[in-house]
Amino acid sequence: MRALEDAGSAPHAVLACGEVRTCLLPARQALDVRAAAQLLGLRADERVLLSERPNLYARSPDTLTGVDCPLPSANGAHVRAVGTVAARAALTEGRVLQTSAYFRLPAAGPDRRRPWGHYLVRPGTVEPFGKLPHEAVAQGVLDGGRHGELDVGLIAGGLLTRLLRHPLLDQRPPLRSRPTRLRWVALPAEGGEGPSIERFTLAEDELRTVRLRVPEGTPAADAAGLCDDLALHDWLLTTVVRLLDGIRLGSEPPSARVGPGTQDPPAVVRALRPAVDHLLHLWMPRARVAKELAPLWEALEERPGFTRQWQALVQRIRDQLTLHAIPTLYREVEPAP
Amino acid sequence: MLVFAASDKGGTGRSVTSANLAYQRALTGDHVAYVDFDFGSPTAAAVFDVPGAVRGTEERGLHSYLEGEIAEPARIDVWRQTEHPLLRARPNQSGRLVLFPGDAGGGEFATDDDALERCIDLLLRLNGEFDLIVVDLSAGRSYAVDMVLAATAHPRMRNVPFRWLVFHRWTRQHVIAASGLVHKEHGIIGGGVERGHDEESLRAAIRFVRAAVPDPESPLWSQGSPAQAAWMQSCDEALRRLAAEHRIGDSVVLGVVPLEPILQWREQLITEEDVLSTQIANKETLEALEEIARRLTDDSYWGQP
Repeated sequence: MRALEDAGSAPHAVLACGEVRTCLLPARQALDVRAAAQLLGLRADERVLLSERPNLYARSPDTLTGVDCPLPSANGAHVRAVGTVAARAALTEGRVLQTSAYFRLPAAGPDRRRPWGHYLVRPGTVEPFGKLPHEAVAQGVLDGGRHGELDVGLIAGGLLTRLLRHPLLDQRPPLRSRPTRLRWVALPAEGGEGPSIERFTLAEDELRTVRLRVPEGTPAADAAGLCDDLALHDWLLTTVVRLLDGIRLGSEPPSARVGPGTQDPPAVVRALRPAVDHLLHLWMPRARVAKELAPLWEALEERPGFTRQWQALVQRIRDQLTLHAIPTLYREVEPAP
Repeated sequence: MLVFAASDKGGTGRSVTSANLAYQRALTGDHVAYVDFDFGSPTAAAVFDVPGAVRGTEERGLHSYLEGEIAEPARIDVWRQTEHPLLRARPNQSGRLVLFPGDAGGGEFATDDDALERCIDLLLRLNGEFDLIVVDLSAGRSYAVDMVLAATAHPRMRNVPFRWLVFHRWTRQHVIAASGLVHKEHGIIGGGVERGHDEESLRAAIRFVRAAVPDPESPLWSQGSPAQAAWMQSCDEALRRLAAEHRIGDSVVLGVVPLEPILQWREQLITEEDVLSTQIANKETLEALEEIARRLTDDSYWGQP
């Protein structure tokens, strides 16, 4: 990818955009390396990237989708663009499935459509007809385009649907959770400055939007990799927060209490157990973020403090489980009047 | 858990009762989806009091999704988007309650293999997200019924538990019709077996709900003459015998919803407020709905120890 960009005659990208879908893999057991490779083998001619350090991670080869349609834009400008959108899927610790679609846009393109061969040697590049109003298009992408405009989320969603139909999956998720979407754009940083996150918003229940500034020449695949990492950790936080929201603390009603002779754990333990089994060990920010973009995480650690919140959640789960390890007699003390 | 709500005829209270069951489960903390596969006449918007929100989804409902025109069907967060003042204050500790509306003006349509695959995608996705998914199906042996029978027989759905509720009113015609819908040659069981279901387990997953049942003991009828009371009593007995003969007797009834005047006037959710504060609804109705909602997942009511 980088080699192509360096060698190619295409001008530098002034905008990269993408969308990431993140969800729990709907299978009772996490997939091992071999099964992960089977799930993500999207192309016969290219191998799945597998890595076991610092955590188990598998990534599919890129697939390309040809597009020829108007770009979304915030000011209503009509810009037709032609090219290919790259999409890939990744599985972290055999448990969290992500699909990610992205493309880069040069500042200007030819006024008429070229033969497909031209676009095929520039994978993941979409060329505008004429000059690209990159600010308006960036905002248009984040706002979500209208019907018929280039929708990178549709491509990520389509790939996810395809993967979820795989016969390897037994469709028995160990806990209830909601998929999230993260839409991102990366604009060039002002002369010589380092990368920065201009905005990170929780737009709707399941939608996050991220606006980045990256140094010129940053490969779109690297920006996508950073956003995959953000999406993964945002999903983990969201999922564990909701899990804790859903439990009722304190003593249980008598009907739900453990009777003599039964082996059922209390409801709180039943609810929290899947987090311990499947989620708590997944937190590993920056594990696969390009070195140039890794500093962006530091800003998020400062505010809102991703890892700080995660540690508080983990501690809360452990405290709850510890509390339930104490015999009921001592745990459920009625408050004094 | 998937729960399919079916009925042979319209006007059986299927939609309004199943919406109330969804509401009751959400109150107890479950995350609940209500999927409107009543393609002939979607009424869920009225029951959940979200007409304004549904108007914005005309082209993005379940028809458009199943026909492949959109990648994801519209969803309406009932607590947030309802115009019902009591519902908007989402009760503490309640779960999510999300409506998946049909398209406005969409009718019944034949489903092909692609629509079936998309239906399975949707049900599986919801199964990963919600504790309970109530699917309201068009009356009779509709395409909607065929589609979910085929979907639940599909290998991808083999690990997703499902149950059926068949709603009928407490009259001769309705008892016979409800039995026919399930037991006749091409009924739910027969149609299910044709699509690969095991007859015994499908039969075991079907229960009946008698709706709008007049209770002879109710104060509603206390003004009646002794002759009327005796007549009602004997009708009730005769209907019970008829139901038993048609294999929909008490042993396969999940619950009985009493005749509720306000539901005769307006299809709506019955809230505690309606019973306790304004007293426009009967306590018995609310209790019946709460009890049926509870029994949906109580295995002892489904022939499992």
